[in-house]
Amino acid sequence: MPTFIKVLVLILLSHLRQWPLRTLLTIVGVSLGVSASVAVRTANVDVLRSFEQGVLTVAGPTTLEVAGDDTGLDEQVITSVRKVSGVISASPVIIQTAVRMQGTQPGQAIQILGLDLLDELHTRGFQVDQPETENQLMDMVDPQSLFLGEALANEWRLAVGDDIDLLVGTGRLQFRVVGILQEKSDRSSAWERMAIMDIAAAQIVFGLVGKIDRLDIVTETSQSVEEVRERIRTVLPPHVTVARPANRTSQVEQMLGAFRMNLTVLSWVGLLVGMFLIYNTMAFAVAQRRREIGIYRAIGMSQPRIAVLFLMEAALYGFIGGVLGSAAGIALAHELIILLSRTISDLYVPVGIGANSLLRTEFLGGIVIEGILIGCVVSMIGAIGPSWDASRTTPVKALAPGDYEASQQLRVGTLACMGMVLLLGAGLLSWPGPIGGVPLLGYAATLCLLAGLACLAPICVSGWHRRRYLGRERAVSGVMRGIAVEHAARNPGRNGVTVSAFMVGLAIMIGVLVMVRSFRHTVEVWVTDTVLADLVVAPSMWLRGTEIGTVGRSLPASWLGILASDPDIAAVDSYRDVRIEVNGQRVAVVSRDLRLHAQWSRYLVRSGDSSESLNRAAEIGGLLVSEVLANRLGVEEGSMLEVITPSGVRRFPIVAVFYDYSTDGGKLLMDRALYQSLWHDDLVTVFPVYLRDGAQLDRVKARMTTLLSTSDDGGLPPLVISNVELRKEILEIFDRTFLLTYVLEAIAVVIAMLGIVNTLITSVLERRREFSTLRAIGGSSAQIRQLVLWEAVYLGAVGIFLGLIGGGFLSLLLIKVINRQSFGWTIQMIVPTASLIQALLLAALATLVAGYFPARWAARQPIVEGLREE
Amino acid sequence: MVTLRHLCKTHARGQTMVSALQDVNLEIQYGEFCAFVGPSGCGKSTLLNLIAGLDMPTSGEIVLDGRSTTTLTSAEWTRIRRETIGIVFQAFHLVHGLTAEENIALPLMLRGDEGREVRKRVDELLERVGMAHRRLHRPAELSGGEQQRVAIARALAHRPRLLLADEPTGNLDSHHGADIMALIRDLATSGGQTVLLVTHSLQAAQAGDYTWTMRDGQLLSRTPRQAGAVAL
Repeated sequence: MPTFIKVLVLILLSHLRQWPLRTLLTIVGVSLGVSASVAVRTANVDVLRSFEQGVLTVAGPTTLEVAGDDTGLDEQVITSVRKVSGVISASPVIIQTAVRMQGTQPGQAIQILGLDLLDELHTRGFQVDQPETENQLMDMVDPQSLFLGEALANEWRLAVGDDIDLLVGTGRLQFRVVGILQEKSDRSSAWERMAIMDIAAAQIVFGLVGKIDRLDIVTETSQSVEEVRERIRTVLPPHVTVARPANRTSQVEQMLGAFRMNLTVLSWVGLLVGMFLIYNTMAFAVAQRRREIGIYRAIGMSQPRIAVLFLMEAALYGFIGGVLGSAAGIALAHELIILLSRTISDLYVPVGIGANSLLRTEFLGGIVIEGILIGCVVSMIGAIGPSWDASRTTPVKALAPGDYEASQQLRVGTLACMGMVLLLGAGLLSWPGPIGGVPLLGYAATLCLLAGLACLAPICVSGWHRRRYLGRERAVSGVMRGIAVEHAARNPGRNGVTVSAFMVGLAIMIGVLVMVRSFRHTVEVWVTDTVLADLVVAPSMWLRGTEIGTVGRSLPASWLGILASDPDIAAVDSYRDVRIEVNGQRVAVVSRDLRLHAQWSRYLVRSGDSSESLNRAAEIGGLLVSEVLANRLGVEEGSMLEVITPSGVRRFPIVAVFYDYSTDGGKLLMDRALYQSLWHDDLVTVFPVYLRDGAQLDRVKARMTTLLSTSDDGGLPPLVISNVELRKEILEIFDRTFLLTYVLEAIAVVIAMLGIVNTLITSVLERRREFSTLRAIGGSSAQIRQLVLWEAVYLGAVGIFLGLIGGGFLSLLLIKVINRQSFGWTIQMIVPTASLIQALLLAALATLVAGYFPARWAARQPIVEGLREE
Repeated sequence: MVTLRHLCKTHARGQTMVSALQDVNLEIQYGEFCAFVGPSGCGKSTLLNLIAGLDMPTSGEIVLDGRSTTTLTSAEWTRIRRETIGIVFQAFHLVHGLTAEENIALPLMLRGDEGREVRKRVDELLERVGMAHRRLHRPAELSGGEQQRVAIARALAHRPRLLLADEPTGNLDSHHGADIMALIRDLATSGGQTVLLVTHSLQAAQAGDYTWTMRDGQLLSRTPRQAGAVAL
């Protein structure tokens, strides 16, 4: 075997030297595919891991957490829980978001943790660097005192004794840094990017007197945590949860499951297209070296070793592509983490910017190894077919002269039949529902669709054109076009693979484009139909998606009176949005004045009339449920839904199901009076405001901003946002969400382009003699250039044709199957003609660019050398 | 028609320079049929490639139709090949994807001739080379002799004044070789073309009015055609 490895290395190196450009293109293609996959995986894991680290660091020795919904917990639970057997300690926690003010501009958001500092200064895993003074203890519990994480203090250039302005809720407060918070161990941790203060001070500052956000419990090690948990449950109200800290991470993981899965699958597209590239390269290598294979076989190399030889060559491409792709992936991941954190915060839960914890030196080795493995596996899968072909070549056949493509006898008809079967399979697989909430069969249908079209590519390449006598062509360009098409059609095997790669990239581009545009259109219609308030008064950080805790996301109820008293305002609604759990699903409970909403605005209900449904729900104490939630819980109009409220378990009739695209977690809508009676929560998340006819929006907006910032409960201008601005903001969030999608798509298309360049170079290399002959009988170099470009155009045209078909079906699969099964949204499908034309023009341009360099190269080749080619 | 003055050509072969032609001087008149014979590597094909403008001399001058080619650009050479020169190769070099008639039409189409004229000329040539019944066949479906007939028709399609034939019988058996030589001789004579034939076959060289013997890149001797040799 070692001798064989020597032979292998010798042969591989000679091959690499022989075709450096093709080798480079293939490696670049593989590395691009690997980079997308590595970057998405790294970012996905990093964001979640940062969240997890944050949770676990802050939890310290905590074994169980008691938490209520967004409205917090009554602090009296502390006494009840402490009495439970097996509980060593029960520490109250307040966790809220504040925003650092820089002049009048809000800056970075930070989490402030209220802890019982006198009790917990040494138990949570942090240490405090605080000057020893006479007032040390008083400083610690003062409502204006703050311990600031070391990393933040360094970033903001703050030291002990410095003042810091923070926006807390709607008020602007000044704090003094009384100590610096450090991690006890050498490693950096979540503590370094947080601030803490005493729990009593936090209750005062955040207006949560008598309330806490969470109770952290340490249980006795001798007792089972589960048993203690059950005992604690018995002393708590039903809507309060008791869970292990890690449970929060798994909850978030579950919440993000479909989103992350879709992103991961999309990141694999680059690898799939890369696989075609490898197939193409290896198939060419086998064709090119068939005499060499014949010689190896003749001098005693076995069939399996021939296969291993080619597989190893592919693995080598994969290895180098993996190393380069990992490096590029790590660089891309830095950007992706920011984008992903922002998107997840926008759509799901505040996760903060990922801490890049995976990108530290100790993890880089792992990422690179993963990238190499992906590169090698993908490349070797791509090379299986050509390697198998190579091993089956008999020495006599391999050494005989003749056209390789003809000797291969590619069965385009059989392949086409297989393609039709696969397309049929795709249709069948798109019918069943999701498996475990994941549209696995939908993904399988997508694969079948793309594979089916790939199988049809060779027949399209060979049967696309109609032969006619070239002499009838009037223009010279017609002759060159004829020769080009003829040549392309004569090699359905190789060209079919190239067209397939291009088709896959394009189909996914078109499919995702149609899906995103349709989705955007649906959201636009939804926003236009349902967001009708002229102004929305909201907490200043409402749109930043970074708030944790109630305070940053609520406004005082007293503002209703202030707003309603304005003569230009016709009506003000009080909209409250809190998160609870229903049947294990995280759900938004939205409460508002349903009768007022019926009068001024609407919900897009699935059946019936919006106003009637809203009035009826207000009248009978019923609920309106979002489509997503209805699908997940399996409920519909007329069903009863059980919800655990702070006042106990209640059953509500479902009056209507409505379309909603603001969250994928689902939404329950009830009348504000009903909500207040059950949740005892007077706070308001936003005030939708309706103006009288003739009122001037800008003036009212300015007046509201001034009035509210000087009110008793105010202190800083809230966000008063007009209808147009709000709609724009919603669509901006939407666009931001899909930015990542476009990046991944672009990578796949670039790899497909490399495939075209690769094929054309192959074609040019193989046809040097033909080009030289044409030059010798009077063809100009410009005509040779035309010839290669026409070939590129032909392949591009077939690819675009198949890509359009694939893209159309893929968009249907994405909208009707994958998206629906992943998120539950109904998307109205539209055909974005202008965008599609743009995409197709881009594809055509890319084809020409891909064809230009090989064409130029072909035109510059010396004639005599070409004529000597065998 | 063709004048060569002090023509030299050296190739780089690895690290060493190899001299393919050394100080070749030659004058060929209009309508002459000149054969070049010699062993492999003596510079016969190099000489033809230089005259066709497929390769450039290291030094010396080629005069075609009284015009020096020393300063010609690639585009000007292309025009000369379209108008003045026809080439027949040993390996036929037909375009695989095209039929016999399309291959013959190619030089005409490359220079932009009208479809009807092209068709007329192709029909005429197919008849003359005896390939009319095989006009729609692709190269792979033709025998070596048939392919070379098509290649000759292609070389003559644009009525070149100079026909360059590089080992036209090299890939054929003796029977087909003789047929091909007879065809070249017949077509060239009737068309008034100047023919330069490169061959290592003394028998084939007998088709020429005279034969130049070459060795080591130099012209050694000129032998007139033996009586009765044309009948070969």
